[in-house]
Amino acid sequence: MSSTTESIQSKICGLLDGSTFSATSRSIEIFIVLVVVLNVLMIILESVSSISQNYTSFFYNFEVFSVIVFTIEYILRVWSYGAKYKADGKSWKGRKEYIFSFYGLIDFFATAPFYLQLLLPGSDLRFLRVFRLLRIFKLSRYNSALQDLAEAVVAERESFYSAIFLLLIACLLFSSLIYIAEGAAQPEVLGSIPLAMKWFLMTIIAGWGGVDPSTATGSVLVVITQLIAIMLAAILTGVVATAYNAQVTRREAQYETLVREVLEDGVVDAEEQEELDLLKKKYGMTDAQVELIAEQVRVENEEKEEKAKFLKEHPEKN
Amino acid sequence: MISKQRIYEILDGAVRDRASRLCEISIITVVVVNVFAVILDSVPSIHSEYKEFFHNLELASVIFFTTEYVLRVWSYGSKYDAKSGGAIKGRKEYIFSFYGLIDFIATMPYYLQFFIPGMDLRVLRVLRMLRILKLTHYNSALQDLFGAVIAERRAFGSAVFLLAISTIVSASLMYFAEGDLQPEYFASIPQSMYWAIITITSGYGNIEPLTDTGWMISSLTGFLGVCMAAILTGIVASSFSNQSARKKSAFEAQLKLALVDGEISDAERTTLKRLQVKYRITDEDLQDMVKNFSNGKMTNI
Repeated sequence: MSSTTESIQSKICGLLDGSTFSATSRSIEIFIVLVVVLNVLMIILESVSSISQNYTSFFYNFEVFSVIVFTIEYILRVWSYGAKYKADGKSWKGRKEYIFSFYGLIDFFATAPFYLQLLLPGSDLRFLRVFRLLRIFKLSRYNSALQDLAEAVVAERESFYSAIFLLLIACLLFSSLIYIAEGAAQPEVLGSIPLAMKWFLMTIIAGWGGVDPSTATGSVLVVITQLIAIMLAAILTGVVATAYNAQVTRREAQYETLVREVLEDGVVDAEEQEELDLLKKKYGMTDAQVELIAEQVRVENEEKEEKAKFLKEHPEKN
Repeated sequence: MISKQRIYEILDGAVRDRASRLCEISIITVVVVNVFAVILDSVPSIHSEYKEFFHNLELASVIFFTTEYVLRVWSYGSKYDAKSGGAIKGRKEYIFSFYGLIDFIATMPYYLQFFIPGMDLRVLRVLRMLRILKLTHYNSALQDLFGAVIAERRAFGSAVFLLAISTIVSASLMYFAEGDLQPEYFASIPQSMYWAIITITSGYGNIEPLTDTGWMISSLTGFLGVCMAAILTGIVASSFSNQSARKKSAFEAQLKLALVDGEISDAERTTLKRLQVKYRITDEDLQDMVKNFSNGKMTNI
C-alpha cells in the first residue's frame, strides 16, 4: 500500500473513533447522530397506520438513504480501523477488534437485515423492523456520560453479581414455597413452579403479583416477597451510589493532583490553564466544583509557606 | 440611622447576627401565612365568611414584600465598591438572579390587577402561590441539593437518555409482539409508548400481555424502571455526600492556615465564621476540627 493511502486511512480512523478533536470529526458525529435520531422517529411514525399509508415511498426512500449512509460508515470503519495496530504490522487486529466489539455488532446488525431482505424477498418484515430498532444504540457511542455510568457499574460488577445471585435464590425458594402453599387452591395462576416464578417476578418488579393469597401461609409469603422487593431496590441503589461516588472521588483526586502540580511554581501559564480546562471538560465538572478544589490547594500552599515562615521566626516551637 | 451597608448585610444574611436572623424569620413567617391563606381562600365556605380578612392580609403582605424588594434593590448597591463595578453591578446582579426574579414575580401580580382590571383571579392566585419559592432563599440544604444536581447534570442527562431509549425500545417491541392481538392498546408505537412509560414508572402497565414474548418484554420494562430509580437515587446520594466532603476539606484547609501561629486573630475569626456559613459546617463539626488541629488546646474559635 502506498503511503498516501496509509495516511488517509489513519486520518479517517482518527475522525471516526473520536480520538481527533476537530470540526470535521464533530460534524461527522453530528451527522450520524442526526441520521440515527431521524431513523428512530421514522420507525415510530411508520407504525401509525394512517401516516405510513400516505407516505410509503417517502419512508422507503429514507430507509434506502440511511442504509447507504450506515453501510458507508461501516465499511469505512472496518477499513480504517486497520490503522490502529499498523505499527505492529497487524492491520487485521484492529479490524477484528471493531467487528466483534459491542458497537461493531450493533453497526452490523442494524444495517445488514436490509440486504438480507433484498436477497430473500419473502422474509418476515416484522423481524426486520426489530433489527432496525438496534440503530438507536448507535447513539450511546456519542453519550460520554452514559459511558461513565457504564464504567462505574462495571467497576462494581461483583456487587451486582451477588445481588442477582441473591435474587435468584429468593426466586427459586419463594416460588417453590408459594407453589406448595397455594398451588392446589389456585391452580390457574400458581399451578406450577414456572407460573409461581412469574408471580414472584411480578411482585419484585411491580410490588404486586396479581394473586390474592387464600391461605395464611400464602399471605405471609406474599408479604415477605414484597419486602424482598424493597430490599432489592435499596441494594441496587446503594451499589450504584457507591460505584458512582468512587468514580467522582477518583476524578476529583486526579484534578486535584493536576492543580497541585500546576500551582507548584506559584503561577498558572496558558498551557497549564488549557490542560486544566481540558480535564474539567472531559469530566464535566462545574465551575463551583473546580473553584472549591483550586481554593483548597491554594490555601494549603499558603499554609505551608506561613508555617515555614513561622518556624523560622520562632525556632523554639519546632 | 442605619446605613445602606448595614441593611445589605441584614437582608443578604452573609453575616449571621441577630438582626439578620430576625429579618429572615419575619419574611419566612409572612410567606408561610400567605401560602396557608391562598389554600384556605380556595375553599368556598371559608372564602365567603372571611373575605374581608383575606383581602386585608393580601394588602399587608404586598406592602411588606414590596418594601422588601425595594430595600433589597436599593441596598444591594453597596455590595461592590466603586472599583469593582459600583452600585449598578450589585443591583443588576440581584434583579436578574433567581431570587430576584422570584421576589419580583411574587409581588408584582397584585399591581398588575390595577392595569388589567378584567384579569382572571385564578391566575393571580397561582402567581401568589409562587411566593413559596421565596423560602428556597432560606433553605440552605435545598441550595446544596441544587448544587449537587447541577454538578451531576451529565449523569442526569444520561439517565434521561436511558429512559428515552428504554421507552422507545420497549414500546416498539411491544408493538411488534402484540400490536395485532391488542390493537386497542398497541396499535402504533406512539400508543404503546404510553404503556411503556407507565410500566417504567409504576412497574405495572395495567395491560395484561397475551403472549409469552409480551410478558417477557413487560417484565423487563418493569425491571428497567427499578434500575432507573436506583440509578437516579444513587447519583443524587453520591453527589450530595461528595459535595459536603469537598466543602469540609476546603474549610479544614482554611482552619489549618489560621492556626499556623497557634492562635486565631479577630480577622481570621471573621473569615472563618463567614466560611462556616458558606460551606454549611455545623458547630459540632467545627469544634471537632478545632480540637484536632490545635492538639486539644482550643475547643472553639
